[in-house]
Amino acid sequence: MSTAKRLLSGRPTKMRITSRPGEVIDRSKPVRFTWNGREKSAFEGDTIISALAASGERVFSRSFKYHRPRGILTATFHDPGCSVQVGDEPNVRGSHRLVTAGMKVTAQNVWPSLKLDVASANRAAGRFIGAGFYYKTFIKPERLWPTYEKVLQRFAPGGRVSADSPHGSYDKRYAHPDVVVAGGGPAGMAAALGAAEAGARVMLVEEEHSLGGHLRYGSETELAALAELRREVEASGAIEVLVNSAVTGRYDGNWIAILQRNLPHVTERLVKARAKVVVAAPGLIERPYVFEGNDLPGVMLSTAARRLLNLWAVAPGTRAVVLSANEEGDATAADLSDAGVHVAQVVDARRGEQVVRARGAGSLSEVELGDGSKVSCDLLVTAVGWTAPTLLLNVAGDRPVYDERAARFVPGDGLPANVLATGGIVGDGPTAALVEHGRATGRAAAERALARDGTSVTIPSLSPAPHPALYRSRTHGIVDFSEDISSKDLVSAAREGYDSVELLKRYTTATMGPAQGKLETINTVAVLAEATGRSIAETGTTVWRPPHVPVSLGALAGRVLEPVRYSPMQPWHEAHRATPIVAGQWIRPEHYGDPAREVRTVREHVGLIDVTPLGKLDLRGPDVPKLLNFLYVNKWLKLDIGSVRYGLMCGEDGVVLDDGVTGHLGEDHYLMSTTSSGADAVAHWIENWLQTTFPDWQVYMTPMTTAYASINVAGPKSRELMSRVVSDVDLSPEAFAYMQVRRGTICSVPGCVMWRIGFTGELSYELHVPAGYGLYVWESLLAAGEDLSAGVFGLEAQRIMRLEKGHLIVSQDTDGLTQGYGVGLDGLIKLDKEDFAGKQELEWQLERQGYNHLVALLPDDASVVPPEASQIVTGDRSIVGRVTSSRLSPSLGRSICLALVAPQLAETGKSVTVHLPDGTDVRAKVSEELAQFDPGGERLRA
Amino acid sequence: MPETSSTNTAGAVEVGDGPVARSPIRPLPPVRLHAGWEVSGRRSEAALQLADLSPLAKVHVRTSPTSALASFLEVGFGRSARDEGGRLVVGAGPDSWTVIGRTGTASEIVASLQAAAGAEPASVIDTTHGRALVRLTGSDARRLLEKVCAIDFDDAVTPDGATFTSSVARVVTEVVRDDLDGLPSYLLACERSSGQYLFDSLLDAGNEFTVEIDGFPEKEI
Amino acid sequence: MILIPCPHCGDRNSSEFTYAGEVHSRPSPGDARQGPWRDYLYGKDNPAGWTEERWFHGSGCGKYLRAERHTVTNEIRATRPEVGAGASSRTRP
Repeated sequence: MSTAKRLLSGRPTKMRITSRPGEVIDRSKPVRFTWNGREKSAFEGDTIISALAASGERVFSRSFKYHRPRGILTATFHDPGCSVQVGDEPNVRGSHRLVTAGMKVTAQNVWPSLKLDVASANRAAGRFIGAGFYYKTFIKPERLWPTYEKVLQRFAPGGRVSADSPHGSYDKRYAHPDVVVAGGGPAGMAAALGAAEAGARVMLVEEEHSLGGHLRYGSETELAALAELRREVEASGAIEVLVNSAVTGRYDGNWIAILQRNLPHVTERLVKARAKVVVAAPGLIERPYVFEGNDLPGVMLSTAARRLLNLWAVAPGTRAVVLSANEEGDATAADLSDAGVHVAQVVDARRGEQVVRARGAGSLSEVELGDGSKVSCDLLVTAVGWTAPTLLLNVAGDRPVYDERAARFVPGDGLPANVLATGGIVGDGPTAALVEHGRATGRAAAERALARDGTSVTIPSLSPAPHPALYRSRTHGIVDFSEDISSKDLVSAAREGYDSVELLKRYTTATMGPAQGKLETINTVAVLAEATGRSIAETGTTVWRPPHVPVSLGALAGRVLEPVRYSPMQPWHEAHRATPIVAGQWIRPEHYGDPAREVRTVREHVGLIDVTPLGKLDLRGPDVPKLLNFLYVNKWLKLDIGSVRYGLMCGEDGVVLDDGVTGHLGEDHYLMSTTSSGADAVAHWIENWLQTTFPDWQVYMTPMTTAYASINVAGPKSRELMSRVVSDVDLSPEAFAYMQVRRGTICSVPGCVMWRIGFTGELSYELHVPAGYGLYVWESLLAAGEDLSAGVFGLEAQRIMRLEKGHLIVSQDTDGLTQGYGVGLDGLIKLDKEDFAGKQELEWQLERQGYNHLVALLPDDASVVPPEASQIVTGDRSIVGRVTSSRLSPSLGRSICLALVAPQLAETGKSVTVHLPDGTDVRAKVSEELAQFDPGGERLRA
Repeated sequence: MPETSSTNTAGAVEVGDGPVARSPIRPLPPVRLHAGWEVSGRRSEAALQLADLSPLAKVHVRTSPTSALASFLEVGFGRSARDEGGRLVVGAGPDSWTVIGRTGTASEIVASLQAAAGAEPASVIDTTHGRALVRLTGSDARRLLEKVCAIDFDDAVTPDGATFTSSVARVVTEVVRDDLDGLPSYLLACERSSGQYLFDSLLDAGNEFTVEIDGFPEKEI
Repeated sequence: MILIPCPHCGDRNSSEFTYAGEVHSRPSPGDARQGPWRDYLYGKDNPAGWTEERWFHGSGCGKYLRAERHTVTNEIRATRPEVGAGASSRTRP
């Protein structure tokens, strides 16, 4: 019994034919999977679609707009009708993804159903879904849009996304090959070999599951050539081969983005290859032919038929008509016959023979030829020409030009030196010619990559072969299979005035679907050229943009890399159930359960807070005072060893940049503290001045922020606690006064710095302990202070206490426009200094007046805490300020605020209106002092 | 996530006499004391290993590349080498160096460097407590690092002894190629507070190659 | 991502650097008038072509450098260290 008869016997699993020499399936390894819930069998090496085709399935989806049944067109990744859902994963390219055991495959975009004949529906709808349909139809009335949206969603392509899908494993990798070869066909493999032979490190990237390109489904001679090339690549040692991977784009500095799919451990990986030279060898993509019925299941490209036959041993049909304009078509006819598929007729386009239309209900049953004759068949193979996918060249700045003789676009002459092209995009030829061109191109690439002169390399010529220009028959058919755009749509859009290819593309969405123009760009241009009476060259083409293939957001994100910083006391905080707060990269304790109680501990006894994130910069050298005098608005040339001073920094625009204290530790040695959030910025700021403006100053700055664990010991009993753990420093108020610094030993840990300052307003010591001992000292302090009711406090308690004291926090109580004057530190600014950062603008600020002032506000209703950022408004509702900080003060038993207000409101006793986010207004009075608690500062000087 | 993410100090060694120093990276049991530092005594036989070396003495030097101290250090920017005392001298920047020595030797190193500097301007600072230091060893170390660092780790570009500062897992990191017994090995140092994060990120990136944690090495440096 | 040839570290991804603006010299503080000062602060030439700008190699050597960059093509034809940073320049052929 002939294969054809066996195939025609109607048993659906019998489209699998006998063994083919180049087949990629392993018949000893059967795989079972399901298709729409029904069990299917396949072999290892099958794609989802090849396995389904082997079982006799012909329809895999419905088209985007008209919901026409769609089958195999290209049998490649870009097959527009073969996107399926695999488990939770939508939009899987079914002609590319390999079948695995237990895979659950379902059809998507099949509303109302895959099987139902919707011919009537689409014929009815076809009249309405013309070019620019979406732009015209759903505009008005606007109130109906939600209804439209619901209907459209049911038509829309794409599968279902499940919120419960497990997170895939995504990854990135940096690579530094000398040469990247994009495309692993004969020319690409040869280019990789040529480059490797010339001494380059090569990365060879192939979109399919194995190297070989069109040789894989070619003749026995081509298979033999492929085997030889593969052997050489494997033996090379300098070629890294990435299969099932695609070069998605080229960026500045020859940064080549490569997407690797379905690796062990990794769902997708983005390889960022910094290539010295890239060789584009993507081969050619076969073009569909435009005629009535060209999207019926059973109409496919010659390469699709050969791939099915020769890679997966699947008969694409039982009775075939072959429309051939080239050798590929002829070879397909021969392969079909050889495999036992009956070839009813070869229509030779080179002799002017034509296919006019295809007919069939649900799938192909009859083809009408140019002479009016009709041939019944279930397979129509078209071989009408090629498209050169020049994306990589386009993104490098090259503009393709139309070669009339070859009827395709070819690369122009605009390539930079670090991009070369070989293979089908350059020209045609037998395998040997492609290999020769590839090898020479690879050698040239290596010469350039390794910066050798490269004059010894001669690249042989490779030109496109003459080819008849076949785009559209005399009937209209589908041009864009992804977007369901017909040639008729394009013609009517052109008549409406969209006669430039870029406009036409955007108006009709042709070339904008999942295939991204790979199949349809040239036909779009050809139809437009015909409709406007211009040549294809005059019409021009659209430019391909990256990515070449879809890239998942997961691959772009890669693995999660979000640096976090921990203090040495973090294990203690965690063990004591601190509520963490994220402050920049730092994870800090916000509180340990009850901030108000923590405040009482500090105000009444003694408390410890972890302030490790405070910026700490070690400054050494004879010119440090000059530097400090320049950075801060106040004076620094005289500061005794053992003293600390508070300073305010402004930018050159006079805007408050940072504040903190700096201590004079020893001869030419200072330690600067900055705000926690400003530590890096201040370090860069200092380096900037030293490196760009004051190169002669002798100063070495070393960031020491995390070299010290910083602990603030605050409260009336802090001196008592300190006296128990410090042995070599006289802690008496006379010997170690407020605003002084000492170096000494704490809990037997030498090399500690302690300064007497107080953000909380209490007697307090800020301790900087070598970080490795931080946890030890923290625990020892708590143990030593047990009978003093020593406790810990977090950021929230500290914020409450500093607000009680009216201490500003830069960037909380100031913003990007707050200049130095007006934040309660006017006396600090010394305009009589010769120069300092921001001096000019501060002078002008003072002259100009009218700036906002930082004031303390006390709401009339002491129980109301206006949320931070509440506006301060006038009677006519204009905004004259805002609340920058607000809390309920446990020490005072009332709400307190800091606010930036217009100058006319900055008067003691002034009553202002605070507009709360909930829409209500409350009244508040400007307080005399910023500090509401111990304004005289007696406690901290104790 | 990695075994190091235990969140309490219960596994710590008993505090005896005198202070205990701790690395920013929590040690895997068994934990022992080494020169006053808590270290992990775990031993791994895996082909790819990550070890915490943070207790080692680390001294940071800033001085002009033409100074007497610079010539005393010998090593130029981008290279590293061991001195006579077995310390690793790292040419960390155009005018900066890191000297890495055995645990507890920082003050000794500082003293010798200050003596070598003489009266010329220089900054010599003990940064033992300011830096986390880890060592990644194994033939797959390069492949792991390529996932988190954009530098070319090819032998021709980053041979044994090469040194650079770059972003590793988005943390500014000083990297020293310092091969061990013929196996590729890399020292990575970053600010102490980012140490645990860097360690965890390397473990995560190394999942694919089954990286294992090794304890504090006897050889130290 | 553009590559910046750091005069100290060699070619590095621009993500390792912070852009620090066009190079403008600071007016002498003694006689600074508002015009030149504001120009120093905010005036950007922003040419479509070659410009000299500062970059800070924060994820590398920690040095500021000057780069001559073409704003249209992103080509960097030369970089040199800031005066206070020592070491040699890098020029691309």
